[in-house]
Formats: sequence, structure tokens, C-alpha cells
Amino acid sequence: MTEALDLKTGASPARRLSAGIGAQIRAFVRTPINVVLLVVLPLVVVEGYGVAMAAFPQLPFVDTGTLAEMGRVNGAIYSVAFFAGVLGLFQVISARQADERLRICGYSRSELFASRLITVALGSLIITGAALAVLWWNVPPEAPLFAFGALALAALVYGLIGMLVGAVLPRALEGSLVMVFLVDFDDFLSSGLLDIDSPILPLFPLHFPHKLFRSAVFDGSVALGNAAAGVTYVLVTGVVALLVYVRLTGNGGELA
Amino acid sequence: MPNIENRVREGDANLADSHVLEGVELSKTYEPPWPDWVPMGRRVGVLEGAEITIDAGEIVGIVGENGAGKSTLMQILVGALAPDAGDVRRSGQVGWCPQEPLLYDRLTVRETFRLFGTAYGMDDEAIVAARDQYADRLGFAEFLDYRIDHLSGGNRQKINLSVALMHDPDVLLLDEPYTGFDWETYLEFWELTEELTERGTAIAIISHFVSERERFDRILELADGRLTDVTDGGPKDAASADPRGVSADD
Repeated sequence: MTEALDLKTGASPARRLSAGIGAQIRAFVRTPINVVLLVVLPLVVVEGYGVAMAAFPQLPFVDTGTLAEMGRVNGAIYSVAFFAGVLGLFQVISARQADERLRICGYSRSELFASRLITVALGSLIITGAALAVLWWNVPPEAPLFAFGALALAALVYGLIGMLVGAVLPRALEGSLVMVFLVDFDDFLSSGLLDIDSPILPLFPLHFPHKLFRSAVFDGSVALGNAAAGVTYVLVTGVVALLVYVRLTGNGGELA
Repeated sequence: MPNIENRVREGDANLADSHVLEGVELSKTYEPPWPDWVPMGRRVGVLEGAEITIDAGEIVGIVGENGAGKSTLMQILVGALAPDAGDVRRSGQVGWCPQEPLLYDRLTVRETFRLFGTAYGMDDEAIVAARDQYADRLGFAEFLDYRIDHLSGGNRQKINLSVALMHDPDVLLLDEPYTGFDWETYLEFWELTEELTERGTAIAIISHFVSERERFDRILELADGRLTDVTDGGPKDAASADPRGVSADD
């Protein structure tokens, strides 16, 4: 005989959030490719970019560091942005349908978004630490804490963009391609390796993190204007990602 | 207001008239997100004014051909999908067992119950009690520490069903719930549904076909976007028919 279970007490949002984040972190570390990427990506990309750039002659308009150092700096930014972007993407698409069920069972859409976002943020901080450690091996930053902050900003903004792409384009292959090309293009244009003077450059997600990171690594300085612009960019992207996520998860994936 | 189980025990005279779930004039069409002149995707009308009521303590079968819109109807009834038109009224808690087990592959069975139990607002003690109860009844106790993606299809379906049942809902919406079950589990499933309906739980089961009609109080067929009562073989309006299969006009 089935007994009636009459022990419902109601769960606080904090308890739901904690359970959601715990589940996401477990799912993350139990996916081998995530762990492999976390370890291998910074090493391969930072050193690979450094070695590749060392083969080029010094460019006249690059006035900070050698090209090999610039390559490693770009590699660090690329590795954190790409990893966080893909993490954000898969956080949304891999659990999209199960999330819908969890919403029916009692989670609010904003709680689901928050649990994904916190997981992405944690992953971003870990990859940031890994990339900075690899960079430090050959290019010790002048201001390590500021460098960490700038790199984390690059990871966070792409983590959010990954979530946004995952909500709008919930397909692994197509979403991954968007992230690869977007991060690659953005990192290249924002890197300072090209003498580009265009009013649209500040619209690219890595524009301000790149400036902040280069100055933190090479000069040990921080331009407050760039920092404020970078943080604002992250906040605006976060709001847009939240709104799109909430609209999409509320209607079976269809924009209402 | 006492819950449905208590109202059954107290012999609530109004219970027979109370719809725990009601879908009124439900319509749904899947449309591509671009204009008609773009030759990608096509418009598919699924529901056109479908009506359904489910009362406390009854078990309703919803049948229909492949692509008739059964799963769409269930997603609308449970709130996973918005209808284009019409209204859904629910009273009490809903349990939903989707056709595909919508679970987190990388979590263990134990973690799955904890996550969904927390979503339902159950405390740890209630979650463990529900988990152990259904693990014992449906026979997955030895798999509690297995990850979902390491389970067989049948065992995954047992977890899928148990997650829908664990919070003791007032209305259960089950989409092909016994797919992959072995015979013992299949029989256990029906025993479980009988106990639940005796306690006042309303159950709707979607199936391609109903092989054991005597197990259902009503059978509704979804065709051409509408539901008709085919309990006794002939079509009747699904919403106006009596829950036990007697027409409202009789």
C-alpha cells in the first residue's frame, strides 16, 4: 500500500539554489572533456600563441612587450573566453529540457538562470587562475590581481554570451561554431596587434578586458574608465541573457 | 481547504464535480519563426479547440495516432508549453512523467531525487522516504548510486515515473509511462495507480493504444486537434462526458 507522504515543508530559494548549483557542479566535473579542457586549453593556447607570434618580426605600433609576450597575453584571453563561452553554452543547452521539467516541479526561471550563472562564474574563475598561472611561467604580470580581474572579466562576459547563444540557438554544433568564430574574431581585433581605429571596436566584448589585461600585465596600471566600461558591459550582457533565458524557458523554447 | 485525499476520506459530496484539471478550448499550432515565403519549416496545426476535464480519483486514457498531438496536449496541461488559445485550470499539485525521461544524465539516482524533491519543496526526510518507497516498489534500490546515463532504458523510466510521483501529487499526467518496463514492473505500475486513485489522485495516461480498457474510467481519443470520448467505442464530447463513461445527456 502506498503511504501518503505528508512531510512537505517548502524549500527556500537558497536551498533550491544550493541544490541546483551542486547538481550543475557535479555534472560539470563528471564530464571528462570539461576537466581536460580546463587543464589543457590554457597550456596549449597560451604557449601556442606565444611560440607562433615569436616567429613574426616586431611590429612598429606594438609598444608593449615582445610579440611572443603579446601572443601569450592574447592566448590567455582567448583560452578563458572560449572555455567560459562554451561552458555557458552547454550549461544552457545540455540541460534545457530537464530544466523545463525542474521549472514545472517548482524552480523559478530566475533560480534556474542563477544556478547556471553561478556555475559558469565558478568555472570562469578556475580557468582564469589556470590561464594566469600558465602565463606567469613566461610573462610575470606587473599587477597580478588586476590581471586576474581583467581576465575574469573576459571569461565572465563570454560565459554570459555563451548562455545567451545557448538560449537562442540551442544546438551544440551550431552554438559551438558561433562561439569559436566570435571569440577568435573578437580576440584578434581587440588584441592591439593591429592598428585599427574604428568606432565599433569598443562594442566587442573583449575590447575593454583586453586593454585592462595588457596594462595590468605590462605596466601594472589600471585605467578606471576601461574597468568601469568592462564591468558595465558584463552587467548589460547579464541582464540581456537573463531576459532572453526567462522568455525562452517559459514557453517550451519558443519566443513568446 | 483540505487536500483531495482528506476530502475523499470525509466523503466530500462535491468531490465528484470537482475538476482537478481542466483544459478549455485549447489550440496550438507550431509555426516556423520566419515568414511563410522562407522555404524552411512548415506550419503544423496540432490542437484545435481541444477540451478535457479530469476529476479526482479517476484514471483517464488519452489515445491517438503518432503525431496526433498527445504529448503537446500533455505539455500544455502541465504548463511546459503555452497554448495559442484556450485556458488550463489546475487545482492541487501536478506530477508530470514526460515521454522522454527529462533527467540530468550525469547525476546519480540519489542526487536526482534530492534535486527534484527540493524543487517540490520537500524536506530531506520526505525525499528519502519517497525515494526508498518507490525504489522498493519499482525495484531500483540497487541502482541508487548509479548515474542516470549508466541506467538501462527501463530503469531510467522507473526513475522518470518516480520523480513524477514522489511529492504525492493531486493529479498525475503520464506520457507513455510504462515504456521499457518488464512485466513485473508493469503490473506493479497498475497496482500503484489503483492505490493512488483510491486515495483521490487523478491520473491521465497517454498511450498510442490502450490494450486493457478495463483499467481506465474514461478513454479519450485525440484526432484532428480535438478530444472525443471513446470509452464505449463511440465518440462523445470529452468535456461533457461523465468521468465514469456516462454521457451528460443520459
